[in-house]
Amino acid sequence: MIHLYAIAEGLGELPAVEGIGGAELRPRALDDLELVVSEHDGAELEPTEEAVLAHARVVDALAAASSALLPARFTRTFEDEAALDSAVRGQLDDLRRALSRVRGRVELGLRVIGASEDAQPEAASGRAYMEARLEAVARAEGLANDLHEPLAALAVESTHSITAKPRLLVSAAYLVDADDVEGFRGKVAELERAHPELTFVCTGPWPPYSFASPAAT
Amino acid sequence: MSESPDRPLEQQITLLELVDRVLNKGVVLSGDITLSVADVDLVYVGLRVLLASVGTLERLHEGP
Repeated sequence: MIHLYAIAEGLGELPAVEGIGGAELRPRALDDLELVVSEHDGAELEPTEEAVLAHARVVDALAAASSALLPARFTRTFEDEAALDSAVRGQLDDLRRALSRVRGRVELGLRVIGASEDAQPEAASGRAYMEARLEAVARAEGLANDLHEPLAALAVESTHSITAKPRLLVSAAYLVDADDVEGFRGKVAELERAHPELTFVCTGPWPPYSFASPAAT
Repeated sequence: MSESPDRPLEQQITLLELVDRVLNKGVVLSGDITLSVADVDLVYVGLRVLLASVGTLERLHEGP
């Protein structure tokens, strides 16, 4: 069966990197799109840590070697090349649109971890307790928005889930022009200085995993 | 993901972010998205574990 790593545009020579389990990478052209795959025995590939990291390494190398790249999710494999081709053909226009959306851009991830949870409010009644909880959630959401909005303004697109989960305040991905990465990081540093009580983890630049799905356009 | 409490929080989160991206993001061609971990926020799950261990460490450092 066939494992797909990514769909690329403007890919020159394949980078010298091994696929999952040391498999050889193979390019497969389909109209103007370039797919990069490897062939494996068996019906499915197990998403072990090793396999996931190998997939990510290939995607990183391809991102560096192409003008635009849609990383593939590590999901079902394709039975054969015909199955892969027909899956791609079914979404050709959407894939082209997705490629032009990510061209020249990278993804940055942000997680903001809150301070320890507020001490449980001294509640005189169940109702007072609920009110205090709701207020705490509203405060957390307000803070999450205050952190996310200035960053979203620097990005072309963003995904942001207000989790309202204790301690994970912001869970976001930003699609940023490659030239704007430094500015974006500067803004994160500024927010970090303004909120010393929070832990900021800004990751990337990543290949645009979170912006690769045509459905997300 | 291997357990390695020695790795700093930031590095652990970066690894979680990577695994989350490879398994839960990225383009899917077929309509069928079946994988055991789909729709689970791995980073959130992983963070809870990490923070729990960080909390334990802090308490240990504070001493009795």
